[in-house]
Amino acid sequence: MKLTTKQLTLCAVLTALALALSYVENFLPLSLAVPLPGVKLGLANIVTVFALYALGAGQAFLILIARCTLGALFAGNLNALLFSLFGGLSAMAVMALLSRSKHLSLYGVSIGGAAAHNCGQIAAAMLTLGNTAPLYYLPLLLGVSLFTGALTGFAAGLLFRALEHTSLRKA
Amino acid sequence: MPMKQSPALRPKPADALVVLAVILLACAMVAAVWGGGRGLTATVSVNGQVTETVDLSRLSDPVVRELSANGYTLHVRLFSGGAEVVDSTCPNQDCVHTGHITQAGQSIVCLPARISVTLSGGAENGVDAVLG
Repeated sequence: MKLTTKQLTLCAVLTALALALSYVENFLPLSLAVPLPGVKLGLANIVTVFALYALGAGQAFLILIARCTLGALFAGNLNALLFSLFGGLSAMAVMALLSRSKHLSLYGVSIGGAAAHNCGQIAAAMLTLGNTAPLYYLPLLLGVSLFTGALTGFAAGLLFRALEHTSLRKA
Repeated sequence: MPMKQSPALRPKPADALVVLAVILLACAMVAAVWGGGRGLTATVSVNGQVTETVDLSRLSDPVVRELSANGYTLHVRLFSGGAEVVDSTCPNQDCVHTGHITQAGQSIVCLPARISVTLSGGAENGVDAVLG
């Protein structure tokens, strides 16, 4: 893939933003409200949604891979790489498909992505554990993903509105 | 640099379809995992050979099996929540004294007759917690 300097810079900034968002997310006391392991807001997904629309699937994919790899390295936990890659790639694939539909808004795309992210992570957990026990947890995570997906869709919407009059939006 | 594609920022009716699909998937998983997998299965072995496996969750009424081996006769009662040996002609009656078993992993063994009943499956799968 050939990237212009501007595209490359934007990809780098978005990767950094996604990493920062998933780090900041750890400080949100969501676990107090929903005391379940693995339940996250998935703020980094805002970046994936944005990149998908603004830059296209190719660059969104590059950002995702860089984010997952660097995130796992920073956390010092390469086991997490499998989880974030499975989750991230599933979300990405589903959102790339859903975003082609003219009938869906950011909300539908983002909820689909959140649900796919959870499916991917459960698949990674099943692979790691070598049994189907994590499947018991999936319905619950899917329920939560409706809310987290709507929230990230809303946040991405704010981002697009804020960029309405910048050079990114001007055709 | 123009955007590749401009998203619709307000919810559209078709978004409900995505929500519905996720809910349906969740319900299907509940049905598949909790509904089908929760039932206990009793495995009856005689002389180390499995002679019968019974899906206990499908039993509406208890059934009693008469098992004879090695000169002894046992009456094993299987019910939806577990199993027990009602009576046995064996000398030490350990199997009868085990009482009823209700959890996956539990078993009743009658050594003289070499008959055993083991429960498996159900919500018990050896995993306490999954941390992502």
